[in-house]
Amino acid sequence: MILHILNRPPSSSLTYREALASMGPEDRLLLIEDGVLGALPSQVRHFESVTGRLFALREDLAARGLDGHCDAAVQVVDVDGFVQLTEEADKTVSWS
Amino acid sequence: MHDRDTQLGGDVLVILRHPPHGSSWLREGLDAALVAAAFGQAVSLLFMGDGVMALAGGQGQGPLGQKGTAPTLDMLAMYDIEALYLESGALSALGLNRDALQLPAQPLEAADIANLIAAHRLVLTF
Amino acid sequence: MASTAVERYLQVGERSVPLDPEGYLVELDDWSPAVARAMAEEEGRVLTEEHWEVIEVLRAFYARFEASPAMRPLVKAVGQSLGPEKGRSLHLMRLFPDSPARVAARLAGLPKPANCL
Repeated sequence: MILHILNRPPSSSLTYREALASMGPEDRLLLIEDGVLGALPSQVRHFESVTGRLFALREDLAARGLDGHCDAAVQVVDVDGFVQLTEEADKTVSWS
Repeated sequence: MHDRDTQLGGDVLVILRHPPHGSSWLREGLDAALVAAAFGQAVSLLFMGDGVMALAGGQGQGPLGQKGTAPTLDMLAMYDIEALYLESGALSALGLNRDALQLPAQPLEAADIANLIAAHRLVLTF
Repeated sequence: MASTAVERYLQVGERSVPLDPEGYLVELDDWSPAVARAMAEEEGRVLTEEHWEVIEVLRAFYARFEASPAMRPLVKAVGQSLGPEKGRSLHLMRLFPDSPARVAARLAGLPKPANCL
């Protein structure tokens, strides 16, 4: 399993397309920084292909006043959860 | 040393997603690849999205004489960077033909890209 | 990359050639065999035929690729031009002790190799 990390929102950057195109069937996607906008119900449709494997960082959501506004399909993790995802992964690939 | 003929793998995969000129992304990515190769790492390059523009033939300097990509592409072989891949959908999206590329790169479909990433120890995106 | 900061001047006959803080040419066009000889002399190096042929390989590399090579590509370029006997790091270490890619690039009037160890 590879952990892909995306820090750009789908509303203003097409980087998410390249991240999604690069993901294998077991790989996970973690949204951080501005990328957490993609976890909102209005935008999460862009990540349909990774349903169940989509994560967002709580600290970045909270900093933007978005904690609690995430789509139910997104698994919210804190920094410890981020570390754990990293440890479970064979490697990480960052997309920005 | 590494036998590259047998599989897709290598030590470092550098993914280039930005076109030449306009930003320093491409140059920084190529520099990272050259540094890794200079240290003896087996380096592969994947040109993705608008990054496939970096492979277009006939590139030149910028309007103010900014350095072009073509000499650096030619130099890759001197650093033993010969595993070149491109996202096939990106090439067709831009209406580019493989015959028009400066260097031959192997076209990959999305599923192959995931395999390529899995087969490298370190993946850097630029 | 070539630095634009002038640290000092190298006297080559009548000419004063500006050098950067690490001893590389500030103006790459200033290079001539006499400049290379003056640089070598300062460091107590004597340039033989074997040195000159490597300097020529380096200048051709830069003319083609617009960059100074690190050690591995330098070894490869020397091997391609001068044959496998000379395309070995031992040969280059003997000719240009310390750091062949840097020393030889400086003598050849090229910028400091960016991707060097």
